[in-house]
Amino acid sequence: MIKTVNLTKKYNDVTVLNIEEIEIPKGQSFGLVGNNGAGKTTYFSLLLDLIAPSSGYIENNGVLVHESEDWKPFTSSFIDESFLIGYLTAEEYFYFIGDLRHQTKADVDTLLAQFADFFNGEILKQKKYLRDLSKGNQKKAGIVAALIGNPEVIVLDEPFANLDPTTQIRLKQIIKELARSKGVTILISSHDLSHVTDVCERIVVLEKGAVIKDLKTSPATLKELEAHFSGLVGVEKATDLQ
Amino acid sequence: MIKRLLSFEWKQFSRSSYFKKGIAIKILLAFAVLYFGGMALLLGGSLFFILKKTIPETDPMTTVNSFLFFWFIFDFMLRYFMQQLPVMNVKPLMIIPVKRNTVIYYLLGKTSVSFFNILPLFIVVPFTIVLLVQGYPVIPVLAWLIGFVAITGSINFINFLVNKNNVVFYVVLALVATFGVLEYYSIFKISEPMGYAFNYMYAHPYLVVVPIVALVALFNATFHFIKKGFYLDDAISKKVKEVSTTDLSWLNRFGAVAPFLKNDIKLIQRNVRPRQVMMMSFMFLFYGLVFYTQDTYREMPALLAFASMFITGGFLMTFGQYVPSWDSEYYKLLMSQNIPYKTYLESKWYLMVVAVLFSFILSTPYIYFGWDIFGMIAAGAVFNIGLNSFLTLFGGALNRVPIELNVKAKAFSNTNGFNPTQLLIGLPKFLLPMLIFYVPYKLINFNAGLIALALVGVLGIVFRPYIFNKIEQVYQKGKYKTIAAFSEKQ
Repeated sequence: MIKTVNLTKKYNDVTVLNIEEIEIPKGQSFGLVGNNGAGKTTYFSLLLDLIAPSSGYIENNGVLVHESEDWKPFTSSFIDESFLIGYLTAEEYFYFIGDLRHQTKADVDTLLAQFADFFNGEILKQKKYLRDLSKGNQKKAGIVAALIGNPEVIVLDEPFANLDPTTQIRLKQIIKELARSKGVTILISSHDLSHVTDVCERIVVLEKGAVIKDLKTSPATLKELEAHFSGLVGVEKATDLQ
Repeated sequence: MIKRLLSFEWKQFSRSSYFKKGIAIKILLAFAVLYFGGMALLLGGSLFFILKKTIPETDPMTTVNSFLFFWFIFDFMLRYFMQQLPVMNVKPLMIIPVKRNTVIYYLLGKTSVSFFNILPLFIVVPFTIVLLVQGYPVIPVLAWLIGFVAITGSINFINFLVNKNNVVFYVVLALVATFGVLEYYSIFKISEPMGYAFNYMYAHPYLVVVPIVALVALFNATFHFIKKGFYLDDAISKKVKEVSTTDLSWLNRFGAVAPFLKNDIKLIQRNVRPRQVMMMSFMFLFYGLVFYTQDTYREMPALLAFASMFITGGFLMTFGQYVPSWDSEYYKLLMSQNIPYKTYLESKWYLMVVAVLFSFILSTPYIYFGWDIFGMIAAGAVFNIGLNSFLTLFGGALNRVPIELNVKAKAFSNTNGFNPTQLLIGLPKFLLPMLIFYVPYKLINFNAGLIALALVGVLGIVFRPYIFNKIEQVYQKGKYKTIAAFSEKQ
């Protein structure tokens, strides 16, 4: 579904991303982990053609992302609050996205009804603009909006951050459900190792822009990841001491 | 502590994105400041002589006093819409060990050095100097000056209080409207007793204590107001507005661009900055009153063509100029959602067309000045739709300055969405129509000029698909740069 080949991104000769090859098959739930500055958001931004690659390319369902806009109809995403339109209410925002994705009002309503639990009564019928909602509630609205219109590829950057524990658990169920039943390819980044290992079939670890681990999730994965990242702490301490 | 706060202030100014923009913009900015400052100085210096000449029978001082009231009202209105109150910047200071009073004094002091308080001085100080040179008594003139400054200061604080309270604003607005009408029809001239009061103060200089006391009282009131509400959810907070929804489903007939049109209307309804710009664009409708009423311009049809362009082009020039910056806060969404770039641009075009048509309907009263004039406005409208709208969109491709939607524009904020390229692209918008009108007018006649103008517009409409393709290419080319620039916070 998504093919990444020889992809690099440089800013003034500093390479922030350098991925030789990743191929994500259709229907996979794919997790991206790494420390700050590892290149997770850069990768997602490249995938959504928000920044231009320095070399290489990403192919989304056969479409070269940086050359054609044809990937847009089947791809949806929520990266950060700049994906929300602050002066709309949540409903207006959902209907707007619905309009863009050729969904009728009724379609959107049906979809939203499935997420009543997830919203926990804090999103719909609030008589508030999105800009006046709390960070967590903004995130809920953004994530659900990314599910409108039966996208085949869903990209979520740090979906668990800012969410309360109950909502985190519900979000995990939603993601698992999507990946299992509908064959949707989901890309998620997170700092929370246990959440990604919980929902993703495959986990790639980025460090300073490069892929250093590509794991198929198994019961041992969480341990391995924890060992890896605490190992980094050790390395950093060692270098600090020098 | 105050010293440190001042240094923060300086850093905020010198490190702001628009100030960093390069030498050209700084020079332009300096010119703008010099220009406005110079104009104010010139006005202040010559006011005395102008008044003496035009109204020789009354003392210029008296004339000024009788208009002073309107000046203060105007000042207040201007502030209400334009002046940015620096309340939010206080947040980081709330949790560090600085005395609350220090912060509040600083805050109030900061509002006092605003552009709105300083500009009047540029007029009034030269005026008083001229008065003194002309041999007016020193003490009353100085008292008058101090009184003026004190009242300006008072307005500053009144505005602060009023900004947190809409009711006060509407009361003031109603009062102004009522007195304005009464004044206009000479039923009751509020300016007379007010003028009398200022004259009286001038005659009895010790009365200057009245405005001073008012200033001190208002300062204290504001101080206590802020101190009482010095909490995140009180005076320091932004206002959270109740949602107002309007049914816009009638726009669905516009097909693919309908969702964007609906959004743009909500954008204007619900955000401070677009509302401000909208209001400015409304003022353009009255542009004709300046040009059509004066015989000198009647002789210069090219200038009339220029004015006619502005009457229907207000929205295009003010709002359109900031496309796509209006969507800067969520530009990434628009760029990754299922939207072809072209549809997005088309929606902006439709919006401008609707605005031009709307202004054209509103401009029908200009028939009063004759069908010639109205024909000119009509030709101008067609030109605006057919060519200026595209020029505006084209210019927008180079416009990469993010706009904070729900924040009032600061004085001189035009520099935010303004750069030399923008200016260059802006020039043809009014030079072209003058030229296109003038050549056939000189060679053939007035009507030929009108037809030429309208024809160019029609051509633009006919070749729309082609032009859109070109514009889209320019936007596509700058896409990454625009996204990067818009994601920088100001």
